[in-house]
Amino acid sequence: MRRVGSWAAVAAVAAALVSFPYWTAAWESSRYATTVLRDMLVFATFALSLNLLVGYAGMPSLGHAAYFGAGAYAAGIAGQRLATDQLHVTMGAAVLVAGVLALLIGALVVRSSGIFFLMLTLAFAQMVFAIAFQWTEVTGGSNGFPGVRRPSIGELDLSAPDRVFMLVATVFLLVTWLLWRISRSTYGRALIGVRENERRMRALGYDTTRLRLSAFVLAGALAGVAGALAAYSARFVSPSDAGIGTSVTAFVMVLIGGAGTLLGPILGAGIVLYIERVLSSSIPYAQTVLGLLFIGFVLLARQGIIGLARRALALATR
Amino acid sequence: MGGSSGGAALEVRDLRREFGGIKALDGVTFAVGPGERRGVIGPNGAGKTTLFNVLTGEVRPTGGSVRLRGEDVTGRPTWQLARRGLARMYQRNELFEPLETRANVALAIGARRGPYRPLTAAPAVELEAADLLLGQVGLAGRERTPARSLSHGERRQLELAVALAASPQVLLLDEPTAGMSPAETARIADLIASLDRTLTILIVEHDVDVVFRLADRISVLHEGRVIADGTAEEIRGDVRVNEVYLGKAVRA
Ligand SMILES: Nc1ncnc2c1ncn2[C@@H]1O[C@H](COP(=O)(O)OP(=O)(O)OP(=O)(O)O)[C@@H](O)[C@H]1O
Ligand SMILES: [Mg+2]
Repeated sequence: MRRVGSWAAVAAVAAALVSFPYWTAAWESSRYATTVLRDMLVFATFALSLNLLVGYAGMPSLGHAAYFGAGAYAAGIAGQRLATDQLHVTMGAAVLVAGVLALLIGALVVRSSGIFFLMLTLAFAQMVFAIAFQWTEVTGGSNGFPGVRRPSIGELDLSAPDRVFMLVATVFLLVTWLLWRISRSTYGRALIGVRENERRMRALGYDTTRLRLSAFVLAGALAGVAGALAAYSARFVSPSDAGIGTSVTAFVMVLIGGAGTLLGPILGAGIVLYIERVLSSSIPYAQTVLGLLFIGFVLLARQGIIGLARRALALATR
Repeated sequence: MGGSSGGAALEVRDLRREFGGIKALDGVTFAVGPGERRGVIGPNGAGKTTLFNVLTGEVRPTGGSVRLRGEDVTGRPTWQLARRGLARMYQRNELFEPLETRANVALAIGARRGPYRPLTAAPAVELEAADLLLGQVGLAGRERTPARSLSHGERRQLELAVALAASPQVLLLDEPTAGMSPAETARIADLIASLDRTLTILIVEHDVDVVFRLADRISVLHEGRVIADGTAEEIRGDVRVNEVYLGKAVRA
């Protein structure tokens, strides 16, 4: 009964999320809220993909925007070059390009760890950024890539703002579901094993290099999905989507929310975008607030908001 | 070719390893038959742990060869050797600290099946097997305790459970009873003695009583060399061994 009940609750929340533009239609600021929530969900998807590396496998990538940007460009360019707006084509291109890129870079970086891993992922992401910035004929260079086509599924046109929102929310829910399953699976357990003690994992017979590479590719492909959603949403891709600023933002989202938890990156994405988009217009120094918040979490609460909540709950129930 | 090596579970020839100028292993040769329990003793810094590190592929030898169940495995990666039936208990525990003891053992059991099942949780039988093993090493009732919350003795028991959970054919035990109370030591020694006789075991141990009780044969390592090799009786009577190790061990 409890199982049924919690499933019903999850289904209700999911339905409410996907239909957000409709039940808020009467609000004065429904349009604006829908746009902000859409971007929160795009970044939540991106942060979830990074969390697979940072939180589960213990691989702190500082270059995850490379795959987000690659997915965004691939979705836009595939739509333009193949003259199609079909979701499976442009989204497929995003997953493929981001995944293959992650495979190529991952093969070079997954053997390193700690600060070296951080620096190597950053360096390769800067190369991807440089390509986006300079390959003007294909990417639009520093001007960015305008006119990304919003997708259709068959005859179903998803280009209206409400429809784009529904697509973003649905994909976000699917990615969340996938990562929830992974976190409980033997694969997710093995990634945690690699994070906690790679030496022991090897001694048990796990090919940890391959495990780390598989996580890197999966996280890259999912970042590509988020990138495609970002491109559909903004109808525009900027080189900065693949840049260090975007990588750092996702990292901050994961750490503030709580690395290694499912809800943490989602909360983190919501909070960071709320500060950047909503608070920044009403209070000065919103970015400074964000920076201080980040430093505070790094110094005082390594498990993020979810960790704090768990501690509070443990204290309350003692 | 050496006749004795034909059916060896583990055989090393002229194994060498240097660290800077230190010869941690200086030409070690021996063979351990299937099902044999081999004690490896020697003073601190003799090269015992280095020998294990080379056997598991975690440290590359500067020379010599390792054969596992007839196959030359020198230079093979550690995980491949584990898949060929080699498991290890570390001198310094290598555990998954924040995970429950059950999850620690389950990761070892799941290694055989492989990790690439992203949508399914560990089968119930594996968790049951993990609990059973935890009971055998003396950790019944501690299944849900994180490894880092265990006492020193319990951590050694978990380290042993993790090594056993891989169902090895060759098991390397690096000071299994180090730091344990006499009661815990007796319990672990009983457990090791009761293991399946087809399992080949190399046991490094400073507790001389434990090693003389468990081992069929004993190799004595000193400054990276095997200075004696024989039954418990022969080793007890060996003048050199008493000079470099046993005499001192009694005094300590
Ligand atoms: N990774 C390493 N780097 C440098 N020197 C090492 C390394 N590993 C071992 N040594 C050196 O090799 C020698 C043998 O060390 P080893 O740990 O194998 O001894 P041991 O017989 O296991 O000693 P103990 O009984 O104290 O555990 C020592 O002189 C040690 O300092
Ligand atoms: Mg040692």
